[in-house]
Amino acid sequence: GDSDGGSEDLVLTPAQLIRSLEQAWLNEKFAPELLESKPEIIECVVEQLDHMEANLKRSKKGDLKVSIHHMEIERIRYVLSSYLRCRLVKIEKFLPHVLEKEKSRAEGEPSILSPEEFAFAKEYMANTETYLKNVALKHMPPNLQKVSLLKSVPKPNLDCFVFLRVLERQENILVEPEMDEEREYTIDLEEGSQHLIRYKTIAPLVASGAVQLI
Amino acid sequence: GDLGPFNPGLPVEVPLWLAINLKQRQKCRLIPPEWMDVEKLEEIRDRERKEDTFTPMPSPYYMELTKLLLNYASDNIPKADEIRTLVKDTWDTRIAKLRLSADSFVRQQEAHAKLDNLTLMEINTTGTFLTQALDHMYKLRTNLQPGESAHSQDF
Repeated sequence: GDSDGGSEDLVLTPAQLIRSLEQAWLNEKFAPELLESKPEIIECVVEQLDHMEANLKRSKKGDLKVSIHHMEIERIRYVLSSYLRCRLVKIEKFLPHVLEKEKSRAEGEPSILSPEEFAFAKEYMANTETYLKNVALKHMPPNLQKVSLLKSVPKPNLDCFVFLRVLERQENILVEPEMDEEREYTIDLEEGSQHLIRYKTIAPLVASGAVQLI
Repeated sequence: GDLGPFNPGLPVEVPLWLAINLKQRQKCRLIPPEWMDVEKLEEIRDRERKEDTFTPMPSPYYMELTKLLLNYASDNIPKADEIRTLVKDTWDTRIAKLRLSADSFVRQQEAHAKLDNLTLMEINTTGTFLTQALDHMYKLRTNLQPGESAHSQDF
């Protein structure tokens, strides 16, 4: 549908919403880089959890339903926390690159950081720089007092291998063998098939939802 | 999701986590899946041993289901011990094949593999090791080629 850049009205059943959350979670877990933030999914899941908790409060205590719903809430909450924590780990690990990518993002491109994550990243960066300066840098000779975190922090390795399952059929995906002697070839990705391949080639397919990392 | 209706005496389908939980609370009896049967599993095991490639499994979660059901509901499953052995044999055969494929994948520096009949449990059991090994090999090789943009840090 059309995106107005503001809030998108996603009409998903609760089951579909949880499925989207699980997909986002797995993709984030297995991708080497920080993926697009999914504020719509997170908002809807939080809303759903609040709704379920309110229902629970109203129900008769000791009802079997209550314990079942409670378990379901805990399970969903676990996935949500794991997803958010996974993102935070990557933000902390690739800090300068994440901030750089977000700052140099073009107008229509989706954000990889939620507003809260962006604020966290900036603050974390500032604290890290202050810490390095106070603990070590200011004691160095004057010409060594600057450090570029952007240059010294390793970038995510996009050439790593990942496992994926195909959700939407794709044709002519380029496979580049490492050695120059072997020529590159293309493969088709059939729906439902599973593959082992380098992340870099299929990164856009993960973003578009055509494949699922497993 | 939606569940039920729960009527006494009538079987109902529920998610696995709920089934195990209810069974632990002694509120129900679990009915094993159709394929969890000695004859069927013998067929599956024999077929897997005969073929070089991976044969399709009766369930993408055959290992998880077997482990959980046999741990928590073995009293509801006829010939549980035989079933446990049969599934383990099949698993062992498949993992051995996987180790061979992984070894040749790394040696021949393949760039792509299709793994349709592998289940998630098998992929994740060997997957991390395989991807990390591939990663290390890649880093070692790219550092052999001077002038290439290796991920080294310039200060």
